[in-house]
Amino acid sequence: MTRLVEVPTQFDDRSFDQFAAAYAQAMDGERLLFDAHAAEWASPYGLVGLLAAGEAAARKGERPLLTAPANPDVVSYWARAGFFREAADLFEVHGKVPKVKVAVESEVLLPVTPVRAAEDVHAVVSTIQQRASAILNSELGLDPKATMGFAMALSESCQNIVEHAGTGGWVAVQAYNWRRKLARRVVVIAVADAGVGFRHSLEPTQGRRFGERWGDAAALEAALIQGTSRFRDPGRGQGLAGIRRYLARWEGKVAIRSGTARIAIVPRWDDDVPLKEGLPAFPGSQVLLIIPEQVTEKGPGGPSKQ
Amino acid sequence: MVQAVLQQAVAGFYTDLVTRPTGRAVRENIERDLLPGTIAVMDFTGVGCLDYSCADEIVAKLVRDKVKVLLLRGLTEAHREAIEPVLAGAGLAVLCERADGALEGLGASEPAPALLDELVERRLAARIPGGSIRLTAA
Repeated sequence: MTRLVEVPTQFDDRSFDQFAAAYAQAMDGERLLFDAHAAEWASPYGLVGLLAAGEAAARKGERPLLTAPANPDVVSYWARAGFFREAADLFEVHGKVPKVKVAVESEVLLPVTPVRAAEDVHAVVSTIQQRASAILNSELGLDPKATMGFAMALSESCQNIVEHAGTGGWVAVQAYNWRRKLARRVVVIAVADAGVGFRHSLEPTQGRRFGERWGDAAALEAALIQGTSRFRDPGRGQGLAGIRRYLARWEGKVAIRSGTARIAIVPRWDDDVPLKEGLPAFPGSQVLLIIPEQVTEKGPGGPSKQ
Repeated sequence: MVQAVLQQAVAGFYTDLVTRPTGRAVRENIERDLLPGTIAVMDFTGVGCLDYSCADEIVAKLVRDKVKVLLLRGLTEAHREAIEPVLAGAGLAVLCERADGALEGLGASEPAPALLDELVERRLAARIPGGSIRLTAA
């Protein structure tokens, strides 16, 4: 039996829970058909999240199906963003997928890239430093000093896949116009895996401390807010703390979804909530980092007021 | 002992010091030549990105477990931004040589004066008029 999982027409972190709800209804033994034919746009978060769903579905049983977006501009963009290059290993893809080169264009700072081992993180950091420095400065008005920190944040978020997920994952980095409250250019780092998730990872060392409160939300709080690691090594837990420091300095945002909860450190330009629980269950972890364009009092595009 | 001062060029291993496995490999390579209680110098010239995990694996662990005083050279602002919070969070400190040659503490504020005193006592550094401390020729 085949179960349909609809990919939202605007597929990003906001519509991800709708997608997760459809995914969560799947039963063991069902073959999943991820239907993206009506998709009009997907953020990097949506793209790597869809890959994570594909991997999780493939683990459970038959290779899932994917219907590619019908709109030629949309499917072309997904191809240039590197999505189909990764999707080919996970899905049986249906629909017309153009053979295009994975992007070397200004908005796609890093196409969808697999992360399985430390060497992959090195490659990602090297690519970003080569391509992103000028773009971050010209597009976002970021101080050149911010570029190294950007690479650091990217490195640490990718490393968490290698160190904790128990499986591989994906990362993508893109610049675009954030049309919600902010109305500025942003750069988005999205990292996703379909691994064990924060709760399972931290349970052996943290579960007892939280008692009955233990769950996905508590695990995320322990990791992001308290800097807790599953390793007892005193120097652990640096990565997320470092990401928080970097984002605080540049008024950025971090949001992490794992299992049935989502935690966020929300800057003043966003209207998200710090914690959501009781969400539709989704495997692994999905991380979103957003760095906004720096503005002067006169408006966007000027030199940084930092 | 002057002979205990070792200078390791970190940039010779990798350009970007990222990920814990890389940090561990670099540190183990350095540690092989270090006796416990050594005063060591590490030159970060040519190192690109340094992430927090590598800062912990290389710098913090050497300070915590192996060297008596660690002096860092060739640090960029970005390197300092990775190293400082890692050390401060662990209550550790190193010395770093500024562009003008003066030595200053990096990391937790409490241990730094003792580190400077250690170098001065061993005549590896000296206080100069104006109050700053610089390495001697030794």
